[in-house]
Amino acid sequence: MTTSHLTMEQLLAVRDGDRSEPAYADAHQHVAECGACRVELDRLHQRTARLRALPRMTPARNQFPAVRTRFATERRQRRLRAAGIGGLAIAASLAMVMIGRDVLRPNRLDAEQQIATAKSESQQLELQLHAWNPQSRVLNSRAAAMVMELEDRIADLDVRLAQTPESERQLALWQQRVGLMNTLVEVHVTRASNVGF
Amino acid sequence: MDATVMQDAETVITKARLGDPVALEALYRAYSGPVYNLARRICRTTEDAEDVLQETFFEVCRSIRNYRGEGSIWGWIRSVASSKALMRLRRNRYRETDELDAEYVPSAREVSPGLRMDLEAAMDRLTVTARAVVWLHDVEGYTHDEIADQMGRTVSFSKSQLARAHSRLRVWLGDEASA
Repeated sequence: MTTSHLTMEQLLAVRDGDRSEPAYADAHQHVAECGACRVELDRLHQRTARLRALPRMTPARNQFPAVRTRFATERRQRRLRAAGIGGLAIAASLAMVMIGRDVLRPNRLDAEQQIATAKSESQQLELQLHAWNPQSRVLNSRAAAMVMELEDRIADLDVRLAQTPESERQLALWQQRVGLMNTLVEVHVTRASNVGF
Repeated sequence: MDATVMQDAETVITKARLGDPVALEALYRAYSGPVYNLARRICRTTEDAEDVLQETFFEVCRSIRNYRGEGSIWGWIRSVASSKALMRLRRNRYRETDELDAEYVPSAREVSPGLRMDLEAAMDRLTVTARAVVWLHDVEGYTHDEIADQMGRTVSFSKSQLARAHSRLRVWLGDEASA
């Protein structure tokens, strides 16, 4: 058994049942036989209980609007970056159409051309939205929720487009993307024009 | 520390993982209190704690897709919060851990009963690192391994910080045994 009183490290090891401490068994035995160390251990327990009972602090203001704005801004920037890559994809697909126009079947060529057109429209809408600079404008909570939902759906479409090689299916997805982008631009522009009233 | 129990938690988490703003706000409403409390107990100022609160929920919005449901949602959010709070300490260049060794600690005889501190004041007097270790270990229930991992330090560092902090609290609070 340890003859001198326990150190704080040893008392904490006993309190926490920390058997990785080399002298844990000796310390545990010591507490059973030493009144002064039992008092110290009790006080350690009491101090810990008082710490846990300290009043809970609460934030002075709601931080969620700021979080939502940052999150929406980041998603918008991510989508714009993706649109930049999409721009390269448009150029590549147009080149493919030009190179392969003599060997592709007419109906496939038609689908490719329609995809290229939809991509171009989508990119134009992205550029229009970017030029509108939505970050510098204020949206009410309802409009912000609509924008977030539209952005979610567009992000979901982008994932599906990346996983869909068939041109017929791609065309439908690109057309949906153009529709959603149109709505997104409309929400931003309409809300912004209402600010002046 | 127990966090607010969120009603219909599974549905809210599922929607939040899909980026639903209403569900994300519901998570904020349920857990912003405990997150702020943890941040405020670790950080020196209310401004830092508010920044940690915002950083935590921004990260929750970005990363909740990666939450696999292993462990409670509060456990996951709390790990994000403690990580952000400790990052804030590092960013503020609080390098007080070495000061703890050099710090003058009065004996019980030098602390008159009338000057005994309350627990809040005593916690404030600890170095930020020692206070963070005390709070994370004794209140939030983190192990020394987890604290060492989050702080980028060793387990023995975490243990010695806790022991030294308790030695100081014991004196400052007048908890020394009269025997």
